[in-house]
Amino acid sequence: MRKTLLTLVLLCVLFTSILFSNTTLRMIQVFASPERTKIIENIIEKFEALKPGVKIELISPPYETAVSKVNIMMSNEEPLDIVEVSDWLLSGLVSMGVLENLERYITRSEQAKYWVDGVVEAARTVNNTAYIMPNAIYVKTLFYRPDILEKYNILGAPRSMGEMMAICQYITNGRDQYGYSYRGIDPVNFMDLVLCSFFNDIDPACMYKTTSGKIIFEDPRALEGLKFYIELYHKASPKDSISWGFDEQVNAFVSGLTPILFQDPDTTALLNYLLTTGVYKTAPLPVGPGGKVYPTFGFGGWGIPSYSKNKDIAWEFIEFFNLPENAAYFCKEYGALPVDSRIYESDPYFGSAVFDGWAAMFDDPVTYQITAYPIDNELWGEWFRLQGDIQERLLMNRMTPERALQEFTNFWKDAGI
Amino acid sequence: MRVKKSVKKTLKALALGLYLAFAIAPILWIFLTSIKPPEDIYTFPIKYWTEKPSFDAYRYLFGFAKFSKYFGNSVFVTMFASIVSTFFALFSGYALSRFRFKGKGFLLIFLFFTQMIPAYLLMIPQFQMFSGMKLTNNLFGIIIIYIGLGATFSTIMSKGFFDRIPVSMEEAGLIDGCTRLGVLFRITVPLLLPGLAAVFSFSFVNNWNELFTAALFLDSDAKMTVPVALYSFISKAGIQWNVLGAGIIVALVPTMILFFFAQKYIIAGLTQGAVKE
Amino acid sequence: MALFIPTFSVIGFLTIYPTIRGFILSFQNYTVFNIRRIRYIGLQNYERVLQSGDFGLILWNTFVWIFFSVLFQMLLGLGLALLMRKPFKGRGIYAGFVFYPWALSGFAIGLIWRWLFDGSFGIINDILIRLGIIERGISFFSDPVLAMVAVITVNIWYGFPFFAIMILAALQGIPQDVYESAWMDGANPINTFFKVTLPFIRPVLINTVLLRVIWVMNYPDIIYAMTRGGPAKATEILSVYMINIVFYENNNFSKASAVGVIIISILMVFTTFTYLVTNTKRMEL
Repeated sequence: MRKTLLTLVLLCVLFTSILFSNTTLRMIQVFASPERTKIIENIIEKFEALKPGVKIELISPPYETAVSKVNIMMSNEEPLDIVEVSDWLLSGLVSMGVLENLERYITRSEQAKYWVDGVVEAARTVNNTAYIMPNAIYVKTLFYRPDILEKYNILGAPRSMGEMMAICQYITNGRDQYGYSYRGIDPVNFMDLVLCSFFNDIDPACMYKTTSGKIIFEDPRALEGLKFYIELYHKASPKDSISWGFDEQVNAFVSGLTPILFQDPDTTALLNYLLTTGVYKTAPLPVGPGGKVYPTFGFGGWGIPSYSKNKDIAWEFIEFFNLPENAAYFCKEYGALPVDSRIYESDPYFGSAVFDGWAAMFDDPVTYQITAYPIDNELWGEWFRLQGDIQERLLMNRMTPERALQEFTNFWKDAGI
Repeated sequence: MRVKKSVKKTLKALALGLYLAFAIAPILWIFLTSIKPPEDIYTFPIKYWTEKPSFDAYRYLFGFAKFSKYFGNSVFVTMFASIVSTFFALFSGYALSRFRFKGKGFLLIFLFFTQMIPAYLLMIPQFQMFSGMKLTNNLFGIIIIYIGLGATFSTIMSKGFFDRIPVSMEEAGLIDGCTRLGVLFRITVPLLLPGLAAVFSFSFVNNWNELFTAALFLDSDAKMTVPVALYSFISKAGIQWNVLGAGIIVALVPTMILFFFAQKYIIAGLTQGAVKE
Repeated sequence: MALFIPTFSVIGFLTIYPTIRGFILSFQNYTVFNIRRIRYIGLQNYERVLQSGDFGLILWNTFVWIFFSVLFQMLLGLGLALLMRKPFKGRGIYAGFVFYPWALSGFAIGLIWRWLFDGSFGIINDILIRLGIIERGISFFSDPVLAMVAVITVNIWYGFPFFAIMILAALQGIPQDVYESAWMDGANPINTFFKVTLPFIRPVLINTVLLRVIWVMNYPDIIYAMTRGGPAKATEILSVYMINIVFYENNNFSKASAVGVIIISILMVFTTFTYLVTNTKRMEL
């Protein structure tokens, strides 16, 4: 009798100590801004209310140094339990061996059933194993200013690249009105969007290969696409835009200098703040001469460090974050596209005008083929620097398009795609 | 003779005015930006003055963006690091100036050498070291690094100021029976005050504005310093110029105050060391 | 002797030890992908840096950057110091305002000036157009030469207060009677400057210039914030190159460390050379 009582008391003590001991998880995001931090903190508060004894500390490094910081922290095994991994960061972290294999969680997860097409593949990009649970999709679309275009009697958005070039050239006067908002810093996506639209047989799993396995830069259509892109800069964008970052690019759009812009969904949050509703609209990306266009499939997600001591609780939070009501709140306020298909159907925001561009593109996956980048390739990190460098030279007429394409081809041949 | 003098004076005033305009034009622009509503910031053509100036950005800065917390952290870190730094420099500058010993030249060259090492080269190994000691995300860790970063320059400057003060003053004290340290504090330091003010000011400015080490080593929001907080206003989707502008202006205030006080010592007071004989 | 311990232990711990680690790193292949299989690769990093086609351009950029920045910082600083030598009403407040560029953080400066120089939204172009000097905005950042002009201008704006303060302090140290005797001998201002003032401040000038050269070489903040080293590497200097390697090449810290070592070597050669040429034995400010 005494023994049983003692054991019971001990069990009670143990139980209560576990119940009331405070576990603190550390979480880091890589796309921080004061607003986004607030949004995530609100979700964290809700979670903490549901789970007394659990605290989550959110680390929000400045955006420009975030990726480096995550790399350095994780290579030194600094205590972390939840890591936001952007698509470009993914393969690096996997090679470092610091991301936990999430397959066992995902196969048991209810939410995975409702994921939008392509999300599962994205999670499994590296080694066909899921290392992250995606929390948002970033697909570029066309933003345009109907009010500016109307001044020139142009109604509606351009539907093809050719139309866009014609419109932009028409309204550009070289002084205070241009057409296309170019971005010279980190321009990878933009060149690819235009160049690939000249094809009609791009491999959905790899932006730089055709369905027959050839590297696209060897194809004569790539030359046409590249020349078109260079012409777009020279004839329709301010000369300075070769050194513009996202800030100048978006601000040029806001000020009306360049009424046409290709950008990610999180730009909508900023635009809603700077412009009144209805002043800007979205439309599907213009198709190329091939009749198609290939928006890239960008994504971000939550991963768990392999050395974390709180993996199960971390996973609970990740699932909580992706519950439809939380994910919808996050995506709307922040401006990303949700991964859960139920949200698109149930939430009125995604039927609103702001969302037109994406809605049209998702409705027609043949014309608007969402394609993946070869981000699991080890040389991916060097690629966008090379491409950025070469683009600058191209636009400053220091390199011929033919030569540039050759450089691109050689790079990918060496990289072994 | 009179005409020449007034012409000279006008030219001098003009030159001083040009220097001032050159120096403050950018910050004036930033101040104007900080009181503009967001839609008036990036306009084409450029608007210099807005019809609806407001201090909303400042309210946002201290409210939503919790700037006062970061300000407090920065004050703490900077004052602590700069005071300790100056103190260390006092000792080593004194020793380098007054003592004669073999290898002194070598030590000086060594000090200059450490100046040549790019800060970025040091950051990663430092992080590894501090991570191993669990000193990351710790304000004292940052303070230690700042002291290290500024040690060389402070020492060299301090030595220079000591050199200017004749040894004879100290020898008089020693003969009177004071200890070396007593002489140092009672006689030399008062004369050295301008120099110390200069050393402290430079140290303060460098520590106050240091960005990359702080961004790497600090994680928690509660421990952030001002430069990192300002840097956070740059995100994937753009820069909040009005808030960033407000932050820059507010961040300048301590250094400006410091300059006002210190320049009295630095500029006007340095005469003492050389002329008194 | 114990007085040395605080400073030098701090320097040793925080500067020398990491530098040695960095030096060792430069002989390895430490990138984000290789963390689990780090090995020594000898001089490969150095080869890749020195043999890359752009290295010559980067070296030239570094030289241009340092030369013009320091030269004009010195000239402007000297001018201001001479103007401020004699006390005048409000000199204190004036000093607080005119010296403040030094008080701003590097990246803030880069961001602000980047906006000021912008081809469409910058006030520099706006003012030039309003004054009728040009017709349409100059695109500073798409032209290699103009981009360099822009970043150097900003560096001059940032650095002239330092020279002004140092030289002003040195000028205060010149005994007044030296000036008086020169004036009584009938010397004019220009002669006074060259024969009296300059020799007095020469040691301070040389040491300040040397220190500034070292700092300017290692100061990528302004360039990085303004142009990232572009366009097409027109403004990339060695220290910016180092940062770009970390950001764009899989965090290849080894290669970046190699560049760091190269920077240090160049500075060591330069310093030795300066001291030999100017025959200045004592290092003081």
